[in-house]
Amino acid sequence: MENKDKEIFGGERVSIREALVEMKSLSEKIIDLAYAAIIFDSDDLANEVENIEEKLDRLLYRVRLTALMAGRDPQLAEQLLGILQVASAAEQIGDAAVSISRLLSTNVEYRPFIPFILKGGDEIIRALMVDESSDLVNRSIGGLEVEGETGARIIAIKRGNRWIFNVSDDTVIKPGDTLIVRGVEGGVEDLEAYCKGERRWGQ
Amino acid sequence: MTEDDFERIKEVVLEMKDTTELMIDLAYSSLIYNNQEIAEEVSHLNEVVSSLSLELRRMAVGRLSRKNTDLALILVELSYSLQRVADAAMEIADVVLRGLPLHPILRRSIQEGEVGIYRAKVSPKSKLAGKTLGEVELASETGIWVFAIRRGKKWIYGPDENTRIKEGDILFVRAPDESRKLFLKLCSGKKKL
Repeated sequence: MENKDKEIFGGERVSIREALVEMKSLSEKIIDLAYAAIIFDSDDLANEVENIEEKLDRLLYRVRLTALMAGRDPQLAEQLLGILQVASAAEQIGDAAVSISRLLSTNVEYRPFIPFILKGGDEIIRALMVDESSDLVNRSIGGLEVEGETGARIIAIKRGNRWIFNVSDDTVIKPGDTLIVRGVEGGVEDLEAYCKGERRWGQ
Repeated sequence: MTEDDFERIKEVVLEMKDTTELMIDLAYSSLIYNNQEIAEEVSHLNEVVSSLSLELRRMAVGRLSRKNTDLALILVELSYSLQRVADAAMEIADVVLRGLPLHPILRRSIQEGEVGIYRAKVSPKSKLAGKTLGEVELASETGIWVFAIRRGKKWIYGPDENTRIKEGDILFVRAPDESRKLFLKLCSGKKKL
């Protein structure tokens, strides 16, 4: 499969498919992080938003370059046009996220207003502290299937003074972690009960 | 700023936030299923966001700008940012609206991440049939987020907790990879909730 992609794109080493997969997931993550940066008034989260935006820029550049080298016949060129549009949309979402997170630089007096507004909605963003008595402790996010169980997605973790932004299935949850999560209210509340150790996992 | 103004501002911002998220889900699914109708709904929602965005800016410039310049500025910026998310969704849907031939890579790369977009028909045997989305608690129990329902020729975009699922409905969902099989089984009736 991989080789075939590379073949389609004129033998270029970079797979457009890989770049697109990454761009889509980064564009989802960056919006969540931007809202989270505002809600928790966090410059660290805002910085990460800028980092991801740079990554999206680089990926878009790679996709464009690869596409330009591959589009020889009109049929393929039209298909590539579609791919370029989707890639550039993902990058635009990144730009929008950056401008949301930069609202942090506005007058401090009005900062509380925006989090208050952004706390609602179909899916909400919350920070949950993991108690040492929680069933989540020392287990991986993938092993627990957190998202499948609660519908809540962990978008970042604060561990002491350090942030973990590249949260994956292999990330192990530690006592004292603060999880930044996004999900529907019911699911986030369930996860909160698990984090506090009030509920046993899977019950 | 009166209490009513504040409530209205909050309402508008949240509606823009939810609508832009719905637009992205719809835009990707228009690509995956090469579906013109979904793409047109994205375009319709783009107009909704535009008019909300205008309303927000109008409130900011009109009522707030003299006394609360900073707050007005925040609202203008926020409205602009959310409008850009809507524009991005539009750009994705535009691929379908233009009728561009879809490269197979496009569909695969959208489905390959940690979160995918899936659809399935609700069988008469399915326990979902006859229940509201609020009753089945799909989102909070399984991470399966229903963002559109096709019922015969009719579409329900952005259904809420009171929306009742009927047999024969086609559910369009965003779900983590790990819940994909469960979703298909719930719809076919092979698995109970």
